Amino acid sequence: MYAFFLQICSNSIKSGLRMSGTALSPFPLIPFSFPPDIGNKSYPLTKFPTRKLKSLAKISCSRSDNSSHSTSQQQQLNLSVLRFTFGIPGLDESYLPRWIGYAFGSLLLLNHFGGSDFSAITPAQLRTEVLGLSLAAFSIVLPYLGKFLKGATPNNEKSIPEGAEPIFLMSQNIPDTLKEDLAWGTYVLLRNTNTISVLIFIQDALCVRGYWNTPKDIPKDQVHDWFEKEINKTGLFDLRETLYFPQAEELWEILPRGTRSFLIQPVLHTQDSSSDKTEMSDGFVLLASSSTYAYSSKDRAWIRAVANKFRDPRNVRLMSALLR
Amino acid sequence: MGAGTLIRPTPLKSSPLSQQRPPPGPPTPGYHSSNSISIPRSSTPVKASSSLNSQGDYRGPKPKREWVADWVSQNDDVVRSLPIYVGGLSLLAVLVNRTISGIAPVADASSSQSRADLLTLGLAVTNILNGLVWLSIRPKSVSAVNPEGVECQSICPLLPDFISSELLWVWESLSDATCCRSLIIVYDKRVILQIGFATASSNTHDAVVVDVDKLMKGSLYQGALKSKSQSYLANLSLYPAKSELPFLPPNTQAVILQPLGDKGLAIIGGDMIRGFTTSDQAWITLVGEKLDATLAK
Repeated sequence: MYAFFLQICSNSIKSGLRMSGTALSPFPLIPFSFPPDIGNKSYPLTKFPTRKLKSLAKISCSRSDNSSHSTSQQQQLNLSVLRFTFGIPGLDESYLPRWIGYAFGSLLLLNHFGGSDFSAITPAQLRTEVLGLSLAAFSIVLPYLGKFLKGATPNNEKSIPEGAEPIFLMSQNIPDTLKEDLAWGTYVLLRNTNTISVLIFIQDALCVRGYWNTPKDIPKDQVHDWFEKEINKTGLFDLRETLYFPQAEELWEILPRGTRSFLIQPVLHTQDSSSDKTEMSDGFVLLASSSTYAYSSKDRAWIRAVANKFRDPRNVRLMSALLR
Repeated sequence: MGAGTLIRPTPLKSSPLSQQRPPPGPPTPGYHSSNSISIPRSSTPVKASSSLNSQGDYRGPKPKREWVADWVSQNDDVVRSLPIYVGGLSLLAVLVNRTISGIAPVADASSSQSRADLLTLGLAVTNILNGLVWLSIRPKSVSAVNPEGVECQSICPLLPDFISSELLWVWESLSDATCCRSLIIVYDKRVILQIGFATASSNTHDAVVVDVDKLMKGSLYQGALKSKSQSYLANLSLYPAKSELPFLPPNTQAVILQPLGDKGLAIIGGDMIRGFTTSDQAWITLVGEKLDATLAK
């Protein structure tokens, strides 16, 4: 019934290289000191290679090597497991349990109602059917759970919402360096994350890129003001923490129709006032995507990094160390 | 106007949004004022919006906790073997059911009881197989190896401030988002940034000075610049060329060499084998291009 295909995946790179010569560097580097909170970072212990699981007309045979790890880790099962694939492109076999659950569940119901007369149904059959239906329900839920496991391939298809047009809008009265940074930031966010629309609002500059649903009756030069009005309505410039809505429908009119998940990252800088540190917001970055659960934790870390690019340099404590 | 216009905080006026910011003094020496971002003046009058209170807290909708997603991510191993247990138990349950009801364990589709049993068995087998697939695609967990060496932070003093701030931003992003623990940037035949962990030199406790000429003649540098694309050494111990990078801590696990245009190279050392994911690589490529554009100025 299932078709099995074989593919051996191997990766080994070898290079033999040599070096020669010695010289001194003519430009000595000056050391400088960091603020103490930068050095304390905790790294998660488990990171892993992302594996591409799509294979067309092949079996991928994967082995997990458990020989070289410390004894404190659990012994991993050494399974060489064959992956099922029909070989039909575009068909996602991880949803197979869901289809089987629906199919067998409906067959069970058919059997119950159409199989024999009602009087002849024994308690044993009822027990089996209850068990079967609960198994079917579990199978239907299984792909949803599988989406959250480590190593699940994210769905990277971007679907464009209907009625949305691509726009690229930037405030005019801002310095060129900021314009370049905004253009680069929006480009990188659109390209590297599962985003269809991005909006960056920093202090006074607004940059909007991607697919947005602007009202059609507004003339082009007032679209900028429309965005600012909508931003004002949301009150997002007070935000101090990252908001990630992995499954929300559009909450605000500003978001394009067809948004299934969105993320707002504020641009913060810490302010040392007399008593304690407070975080002040310079602006925010808004990203909207047409698929749910679009931003993994790694995506969010990088989005935070891009947002930090737009911090006002006068407020960044790192800079004080350079001023000698 | 409808809901009010936006607050436009300027450095010279105090407004509710920036009331906790200290008033700016004269520019500190060494910092060029031409590099600061100037806030444009707007011609429309400024009015407070209704959603701002005096502390400036956000009062809009917030996302709710995702219970299922959090639970599954935290109990990864349990969830992976769950379908196997569920499938196995239901398989046994079907057989036990058949025996205690006195029906012969014959797999035929004649009676509706047998048909229901067969369907349930099929579902149980699907679950078991799905559990096996999940177990087999479990990513190998690699632990981070703490780099041996000293921490150093050195930057070339001749750089303009916008370049220094950009370099520091690159280091902050890399150390925050990836497993990077060492970063060296070589541009225009000199080292302009060495930050993170580095090998300690034998005499003093400071970091080893990078030998730029040797590095530039080496094959790693030449290869990276010739190919003009990123080179990812996922498991550094497999490469003999490791000896070309003596300034990195000796137990650096993974290295990315990102060429910056024609004139420079960024060497990014990580503490985990294959620690940089494909997403990290894509981001590092784009950040490298931005850095190259900035450094070329």
